[in-house]
Formats: sequence, structure tokens, C-alpha cells
Amino acid sequence: MYQTISIVAFLVTIGALALNCIISPCRECWRHPLRKVVQLFTMLFIEQKLSPAGVLRKLVYLLALLCLIVLALTGFYPTLVLGEHISGYLVMVHATFAPVFAICLAVLAVMWARNSRFTGSDWPWFQRLVKRVALIKSTGKEAHPESTGLGQKISFWLIIFLALPLALSIVLSMYPIFGTYWQELLLEIHRYTALLFFLVAIVHLYLVIRCKTNE
Amino acid sequence: MLALCLPAAAAETGQKLLGDESDGSRALPIHRIELLAEPSEDGAEPIKIDPNIDTAEEVLLPFSTRLTCGECHSYGIINKGWHFNSVDPNAEAGRPGQPWIYVDVRTGTQIPLSYRSWPGTFKPEQFGLSEREFTKIFGRQMPGGGPGETDDRDDVMRQYVSGKLEVNCLACHNGDPRHDQGGTTGYAVQVSRGNFRWAAAASSGLATVTGSADDMDVMYDPFDPFSVETAQSGTRKPPTITYHKNVFDHDNNVFFDILREVPSHRCYFCHSNLYIGSEESEKWSEDEDIHLKSGLTCVDCHRNGMDHNIIRGYEGEEDESGNELVAAFSCEACHLGEHSASEPTAGRLSAPVPEHFGIPPVHFEKLTCTACHSGPWPDDETHLTKTSRAHRIGTPNVNKAHEMLPHIASVVFAKQADGKIAPQKLVWPAFWGVLKDDGVVPVELGTVTKVIEDVLSKEEFPFSGDWPDLTEDHIAKGLTALASDGSAEGKVVYVAGGRLYNLDDSGQLSEQKDHPAAKPCLWPIGHDVRPAAQSLGIRYCTDCHGTNAPFFFGDVTVDTPVAAARGTKKMVEFQDISPSYAWAFAFSFVFRPWMKVVVIASCAVMAFVLLLYGLKALGCVVKTLAGEN
Repeated sequence: MYQTISIVAFLVTIGALALNCIISPCRECWRHPLRKVVQLFTMLFIEQKLSPAGVLRKLVYLLALLCLIVLALTGFYPTLVLGEHISGYLVMVHATFAPVFAICLAVLAVMWARNSRFTGSDWPWFQRLVKRVALIKSTGKEAHPESTGLGQKISFWLIIFLALPLALSIVLSMYPIFGTYWQELLLEIHRYTALLFFLVAIVHLYLVIRCKTNE
Repeated sequence: MLALCLPAAAAETGQKLLGDESDGSRALPIHRIELLAEPSEDGAEPIKIDPNIDTAEEVLLPFSTRLTCGECHSYGIINKGWHFNSVDPNAEAGRPGQPWIYVDVRTGTQIPLSYRSWPGTFKPEQFGLSEREFTKIFGRQMPGGGPGETDDRDDVMRQYVSGKLEVNCLACHNGDPRHDQGGTTGYAVQVSRGNFRWAAAASSGLATVTGSADDMDVMYDPFDPFSVETAQSGTRKPPTITYHKNVFDHDNNVFFDILREVPSHRCYFCHSNLYIGSEESEKWSEDEDIHLKSGLTCVDCHRNGMDHNIIRGYEGEEDESGNELVAAFSCEACHLGEHSASEPTAGRLSAPVPEHFGIPPVHFEKLTCTACHSGPWPDDETHLTKTSRAHRIGTPNVNKAHEMLPHIASVVFAKQADGKIAPQKLVWPAFWGVLKDDGVVPVELGTVTKVIEDVLSKEEFPFSGDWPDLTEDHIAKGLTALASDGSAEGKVVYVAGGRLYNLDDSGQLSEQKDHPAAKPCLWPIGHDVRPAAQSLGIRYCTDCHGTNAPFFFGDVTVDTPVAAARGTKKMVEFQDISPSYAWAFAFSFVFRPWMKVVVIASCAVMAFVLLLYGLKALGCVVKTLAGEN
């Protein structure tokens, strides 16, 4: 069941992103594909203009990305490809990278939260709706209609939010608090949250890449 | 006449006898019945026993359980039950159980035998033991039937003298405190003397049996008064039964104190264990199985109906057993119940429903219940273990030395056929054999005794019954002697301690370690079940997942008479798990507390950030809804 749901979810997500590429193509990418590939690759480097905090933020982000890839491979490969539970050395690798990933997410939450606040420019339609409901007269200064970071912000907050049940479900199961029924439930929570988390992470990465390549 | 013919007719027609089906009363039925003995000729009427007969005219015979009990209970159904059906090729072997272990220190032999097709065991006939010989050696702790009751076509006359070892109903169901299974004139002794016909009566507490059928010539007729009288005047006495006074009432009927529910101490005669080296080895200092201490008896779980197809109680038994109750009497069935059942089934007989706090569910896929809950707490090294059936525990003149053979090691956590790890007992086979195809077939006992005893005749054998310290030179001499004897067809080998020894073309001794034909024989431990508070993992994960935890890294003794080959193996080698992986996984538990702290701290930070910005967002919404811009 989980295997089927996961595969379908992955296909739908990748399909949606591909559709988005087709509907809203990056013209520069088609014109200068090689340049864009190089640009994509350079995103992995630390820019000289960055402040120490910016360097740290980038390093943590890249480390989190590495951990995500390892965790996804070790977690999903046995379940989706082999059709069995994660076990053996894969569990050990998974459990080794998981706390590093948790630290990275915590650091990113602290460092990115302020930049990821929702502002009026993110969703003017919502602002208008609230104003109408609250009977606030318009000041005449409408927000900028083109918000560029809404998707990234939503996916960021979703990642931070989903990280909590994802991590806690497995850590709490290691304490003698929950019996067999709850252990199984926690494991299910971990599995499905991991799936959702990874899908959101894919979307987040896609949006970040789109954003950077459009710059 | 009609009544006497009824049992036989009932077995054939499937008609139920008086005692085959309960009328619903929980009260114990009284058993004041006549004793019947087998007649000298097949098909003749059973003989009703009268203690006042003139022994010059008639022989006072032992009662037959087949005829006496069989008057009201279908003997032909009962003797197909689990305890009696080992020789039936159609009987399901089921999960491996304890084999019979033939030991002969003078020939370096320790070989597991079973009529059932259990891995690691050999059929007695492969080892050259007839059913009669097998029964004489091991029948002491059999409840009769099985190999003791088959027709001996090779030695008809000897079987006529000794009789058949019928199912001894009293071995389990006799409530008489005088019941003598292991006393000096009891069942075990009578079997070893070849007094098969007399064994059940001798154990009943109603009579005393003297003499030995084995001492009698094959022409001896135990039904002929003249033959008996003549034998009694000789130096070797024939088997003779004397019923105790006041056993018979005025109608020559006898009262049997029959128990429907077998008391546990009856089971213990054949199913006791002694773990040498554990702190508590005396019975007064040992705890029993938690189920017994909670008020249950063995048969509360190991139940059977009229067919005596007793529940063995292992996982998956329902697929192999014809007993309909099997599924309802496993560990899981009583303690967890069946969620899909129409009525609640968990907690039967007050079984506590376990929560297994903090135990990841994967453990239930990889381990049997007994892995954590049964047998002695695992130690750094396996314990030598004595069992009733392997060491004659409970019979007269038993050797109490700890080192006495066979050397059974426990607890060994090993993978079963169903893929789960279970606590098991283990014995390393040691025997002389012949290579056939990929396997090794044991050389017949008679040949081994004749040839090897001469080779080792000058060795000193420990009084304790332990192995002598054999050398490779002894093995080479033994192999040479067996090969030159010519009785064994094929390449002669010696198997011991997991190694296979043979002579190469140049006549030099060569050995192969971990040869498949030299694998140890293992069988699962079901009892004693420890209380939940003493189960593995109750303290920490490192009860098992420690870098030195006996569960994975305990030493399993490699037992062999060849002194230079003795050693140990790690438990993990029996679990089909890579030792380096098991160690690495155990080592990861050193860092697990740190991992938990790190992850929880990280989650706390993320939760705080979410809360902070969530409250800020809420503040914005509240301001907006309040009309503030």
C-alpha cells in the first residue's frame, strides 16, 4: 500500500513539475542550456560576496541537501524498489545522517525564518480578501502583484513543520513510552511524513533552482 | 465376550467407546475396573487377572494397558498421538524437537537420532539400531508405543519373550503417589531389562516386578507355567509380577487413581533440564516456569483431545497439526488474542496482555517470543545442559557429574527454519561414518563398537563420563581400522566438532572445518518462561545490542573428543548475520543517547521558530481583523 502510494505520489509530483516547466518555460534555459547548467553547478559554491553568516547558511543548506539525498536513498530504496523494510547497513547510514539533518534543519529554521516571513506582497488576493472581511478601507497603495518567493516560503515552512513529526515519531519510539500498537502507528507516521517531506523538499528545490536560474 | 471384543471393533468402525467422549461433567470419573492381560495367542480373548490363581496351573501376568484401558478408550486412536507416532512415516515432523542422543565414550560417539525427519538427526536404522534396541536404550523415558509397539519381524521370538512396550497411559494419568517411573523397580528399569510387557504394571504402584526378560532364552515362554517355574529355579530369574495385597476388591476389580489433567511432575520425568554453570543449579534455588508458578499446569497449554495429538505450542503449528485448538494456544493467542475474532480472546487464563513499551515492531518479525522470554538468561559462554532424555535424569544410578556426555550447549540464539531467531539447545554430532553423495551416513553401531573399541582400548576414560582427550593420531588409527575392516562401504570419515576427518590418498589425516555434514543439531527451547520483568531488553537495548552482548557475541562451545579441535564460535555465526554488521550495529548504540538528545533539541528549536513566527502571524491577523491596518 505504502509502496503504491509513494510511487504514485512521486510520479504525480514529478509530472506536475514537468508540466510547470512546459507551461511556464524558462526561456533562457532553452536559449543557453550549457550556460544554465554551469550556473546551476556554480550554485553549489560559496560566493565571495557572502557574509560569514551567509557562508554558514549556504554550507548548512548544502549539508542538509546531502543528508536529504542520503536519507531518501536509504529510506526509500528498500521500501520502494526492494519492497521490504529498511534494514542492515542502510539503517545504520540512515540513522547516522538523520541527526545531522535535524541539526541542519534547526539551523536553517533559525537563519531562514525571517526571510521566509509572509508579507503582503506574497499574496495580494488574500490581503484584499482580509480587508474586505475586516471592512478596511483601501489606502490606495496596493501590494506588488508579482510575488516571487511565495512557493519557496510555503515549502520552507512546510519542511520545518513536517520535520517535527518526521523526527519525533522515530525518536520517541526509541523510548519505553509507547507499546506495540503506538510503535506501529509512529512508524507509519514516520513513513508517510517522510514521503510528504521529501515531495515538499523536491518542490522547494525546484522553486529555488527556477528562481536562481531566472536571476 | 461382546464387551471384550468391543475395543478392537470400535477402532475399526470408528464407533466411540464409553470413555472417548465426555458427558459434560467436570467431575473425575471413578476407575474401578478389571485388569486384563494379553493372551498368549493373537486373537484369543484377553485374560482377566485373578491374583488368587494357582501359579502351578497358570501364570500371573501383568495387565495390558491396551486391553485394560482400551475397554473404554479407543487405544487405536490414542496410540497415533504425538508422543507415540514417531515411527509413523505419515506423521508430520513439525518443528524440530529434542532428538534422542546415543553416546558411547569408548568409540567417540555422540549422535542425535530421531524417527522424525528433523534436520541434523539420523534415523536409528541408519545407525544400525533396530526398533527393539532403540526402545531398550531410550524407552526408559518414553510413554510407550511408537518403536516399542511395532512388530519385530527380525526377532519375533525375542519380542514374544519381552512383549511389546504398549502405551503406558499411567505414565501421565496415574494420580497414585506410588507411581514408579524412575525407581529401582520402576518403568525405566523394567524397560532396560527388556521387560516391555511388565513395564507399565511395574510403574503403576499396584505391583512389583522382578527378573529380566533379557536374561531369558528366546525359547522361554512367559505364558507357560512350566517354562516360568523352570526358569525361576535357575540363577537368572524370569520377569515375575506380584500384585500388592488389598489392590483387588471382592470382584477382582482394581481402583486406579486416574487424572484427566496430567500433573506437571509427570511431564517433568521426561522434560526436565539442568543448566550447569548457572548460579542456581539445585532445584530448591531455581525458579520454575512463570506459567506454572502462576497456577497453570503443563497441560493447560499443551492440550490434547481423545486423539492425544498434543499441542506443542510453536508458531506455525496450526499449518501442520490436525489439532483444531492449536491456533488458540500459542503464546500470541493467549497473550495478544486475535483482533479479528468475534469475541475477545486475549488474556485467556489470566495471561497478561503485553505492551512491549519501546520495542520496535521489527523485533516480532525477527525473533520468536521465546528469544526474549525463555530459557536461562544468556551468559558469555553457553552452559552445559542436562536433559531428562539425554542424561537419564530421574532414573536410578544416574551419573551426576557435570561433564557427563552428551554435551548439550544452551542457550544458543540461532535462526530457525522459519527465519526467526530462537533460543536453542545444541549438540555437536561425533560419529564414524561413510561419505555418500554429499552427506555422511553413520557406520552401524555394531561395526563401530567392534572396530573402534579396540583402537581406543588403551585410552583412559574419565570417570565423569566426559570425552577422553583424543588426538588426530587416534582418529587416523580409527579410520584405518574401519577402512581395513571392510564392513563400511565407501570412504570412511569421522565427524566431530563441526569438522570432517578422513584419510587422503597418501593415508594422511585431513580435516575440513565447518563441513555441512558435521553441522550441529539444534532444537528450540520453550521453557522455562521467565517473567516479563526478566525478559531480554527489559533494561536497555544493549541487553542484546551491546558490543559484548551474549545474544550476538556469546561463545558457543565447540564440543569434540579431539582435544586440539575444541574451541568456541560466536553466537552470531548461527544467526545468518554478518558478525561485522552485528558489531557495527551494536556499536551504534553507544551513540544512540546522543542522537536522541540532538534530534529532540533540534526539534525543540524548530518548534520554537514555528511557534514564534506562528504567533507573529496570528498577531498580524488579529490586528487586521481588529480593523488596524
